[in-house]
Amino acid sequence: MIRYTLTRLALLVLGLVFASVLIFTTLRVLPGDVAQLVAGTEGTPEQVAAIRQGLGLDRPALVQYAEWIGGIARGDLGRSLLTGTPVAQELASKAQVTVPLGVLSLLVALAIAVPLGVVSAVRRGKADGTAIGIAAQLLAAVPVVWAGMMLVVVFAVTLGWLPAQGFPRGGWSGPGEAIRSLLLPALTIGVVEGALLLRFVRSATLQALGEDHVRTAAAKGLTRTQALIRHGLPSVGLSIVTVLGLQIAGIVVGAVVIEQVFNLPGIGRMLVTDVGARDLVKVQGELLVLTGIVLVIGFVVDLVHRIIDPRQREAA
Amino acid sequence: MTRTSRTVRAAAGAALVVPALVLAGCTGGTAGETTAPAAEPDPDATLRLGLVLEPTNLDIRHTSGAALEQILVGNVYEGLVTRTQENEIVPSLATEWDVSDDGLTYTFTLAEGVAFHSGADLTAADAVASIDEVVADESIVGHDDLTGVASVDAPDDTTVVITLSQPNQNLLFALTGPAGLVFDEGDTTDLQTAANGTGPFSLEEWNQGDSIVLARNDAYWGDPAGVAEVVASYIPDYTAGVNAALDGSLDVLTGVDPQLAPQLDGTNGFTLTRGKTTDKFILGFNNAVAPLDDVRVREALRLAIDHDALIEAIGAGTTQYGPIPELDPGYEDLSGVAPFDPARAQELLAEAGQEDLQLELTIPSFYGTTASTFLVSAFHDIGVELTVNPVEFSTWLQDVYANGDYQLSFVNHVEPRDFGAWANPDYYFHYDNAEVQDLYAQASETIDADESAELLAEAARIVSEDHAADWLYTGETIVAVGPGVSGFPVDSVSSRIDLSSVTIAG
Repeated sequence: MIRYTLTRLALLVLGLVFASVLIFTTLRVLPGDVAQLVAGTEGTPEQVAAIRQGLGLDRPALVQYAEWIGGIARGDLGRSLLTGTPVAQELASKAQVTVPLGVLSLLVALAIAVPLGVVSAVRRGKADGTAIGIAAQLLAAVPVVWAGMMLVVVFAVTLGWLPAQGFPRGGWSGPGEAIRSLLLPALTIGVVEGALLLRFVRSATLQALGEDHVRTAAAKGLTRTQALIRHGLPSVGLSIVTVLGLQIAGIVVGAVVIEQVFNLPGIGRMLVTDVGARDLVKVQGELLVLTGIVLVIGFVVDLVHRIIDPRQREAA
Repeated sequence: MTRTSRTVRAAAGAALVVPALVLAGCTGGTAGETTAPAAEPDPDATLRLGLVLEPTNLDIRHTSGAALEQILVGNVYEGLVTRTQENEIVPSLATEWDVSDDGLTYTFTLAEGVAFHSGADLTAADAVASIDEVVADESIVGHDDLTGVASVDAPDDTTVVITLSQPNQNLLFALTGPAGLVFDEGDTTDLQTAANGTGPFSLEEWNQGDSIVLARNDAYWGDPAGVAEVVASYIPDYTAGVNAALDGSLDVLTGVDPQLAPQLDGTNGFTLTRGKTTDKFILGFNNAVAPLDDVRVREALRLAIDHDALIEAIGAGTTQYGPIPELDPGYEDLSGVAPFDPARAQELLAEAGQEDLQLELTIPSFYGTTASTFLVSAFHDIGVELTVNPVEFSTWLQDVYANGDYQLSFVNHVEPRDFGAWANPDYYFHYDNAEVQDLYAQASETIDADESAELLAEAARIVSEDHAADWLYTGETIVAVGPGVSGFPVDSVSSRIDLSSVTIAG
């Protein structure tokens, strides 16, 4: 187990290094740069060159990469090219919106996917089971933006139950208001993500229903549903944990779009702004942290899997 | 979900604004202020203001862009002079000024009792140091506007004298912009994320990616501001902006998208104002490359465009057939130069041997698709196949602006009095006309304002008759003003918003 953990940890670090190279080079390929944007449409080539030099962007790419990685090794994500604000500080402040939004979205997704996924598996071949399956297919195909706009029209503009956009300026000092402003966006991401997850839960449940110990339990006089709940759900849960990493990635992508639609000052909106402004140091840090989160979740999931699932241990 | 007529002031693009425009025909003729309701203004009120484009940082010294000027100039920072919404030059920190007969010496008298937000007193030395810095350092915004300044002196604590080596008709106007702002000499404030000016508001906080908060400066040397606080929220998505007004989060929304404006008109007590701007939506031609180096081709493209129909499609704007907009000196109606005449356009193309012309339009994607779709169809009608290449603004800056690698370009130039672009052959239009350059130089050096304007008008006519570009329309800006709000500016709000005169009824 220790050897496995160390191997897996090495893989994680390798993944991060690879991601850092990929992020760094991809961003350098983008046309235009921050100096041109700062100088704007009145700027002369000389002014642009001077700004570039002032920001250290005229140095070789390798030097800039080494500086970035060196900073990360010291736990320093660097500073924004445009404002001089530490990247870590901005990430932390925007995470106050995006992390709760992500957690809420995940809860919504699970609340939709688990019960409906299980029901549609147990009731396979019956009208209601089929209906759930079809609804999930349809919902999964809905563009997030459109879903968000529909929810706003119904719950905010028409009914006035929830704010249509924005995040309270006081942030979490007023938790009620903060939560209220995240409900519609979380619902939007959650419904779309939940529909994707539902199909996964359904197939995992079908698999569990076919497993020996569940069938044995059913043979001992339990109903299929009882047998599933007592003996099959743990393996379904395990399967859900496995795709959690993918879910997080989906939620991050959803947040980028949804934070624009709902005008939320989160990491997603910041990322879009920073890419547009070519604040490369900031974008590098943001992307690496997001990648790191997904990789770390994958790492934890794998370890948990090994601990819980006896078959994997035997295989080792 | 097409979003149209997006004027953009790119994050850092001086020439661009993101706002919306407005229908031709200003309301009521006298643009100025919204009418005040009968209720008494509440001096402790907070104005919740929706803006579109957020500054990338607060360093107005080193970062260009209308987003910065819009929120900071006149509200937080002040210069010796400022300008009204109609672009008239009026006193600010200088209560009066005098220009010598030879146009070489400008003597400004400073207001008394002015202090910076930090508490330091303003002296003539601060003004001298601020202007000297712009003259000396080419990386400071506005440096090019102050060429010809020979010296800046302070003979006493309340007098500033600027001496020129040659007359510069544009000097005073340049001083109403970032080039003329007065900073506290030796100030250690981090100007990238904070501010220290003399204006009626101080910068309370900047929540990056969300909002800027201004607080009334109770020690202000002039008339105190009408509200205690301004919370300016940046909402780049037009629909989200309208939703913010509809859900009661805003008192005023600027840059309303013309397509969405009807949703707000009269809703929840909002009224719409329509204002003039100097936002010039320019279909740029690369005058240096074939086939656009042929004036017949350029003229044909202009004659193919029905400008009134385009403005109707966009939902806002007024026609502008030459390089100078109505608010700037030297404007005249040049509609006769390029009337809508597709038949003549086809003749011209045939004369030029360009019957099967294919062209590419490079357009920053935030402008939406209304204008480009319109152009594709208009050019199709004269046998020209137009491909649209939507790009990020950064990409536009590199490919079109910096490298001149394009055929046609669409962008909004917001700067007032920017005719100089047509007298600069290195500018991305690559328009090189010695006569225009000469007239522009004369206009700049002419002391009499009316004479200078006449020279500019003459130059502008030549540029238009040369069909150096097509001026698709001048933007108009729509502002939704909520109940109880009065004194909110109507014109030029894409580049300046004087917030000091705004009040909210209690």
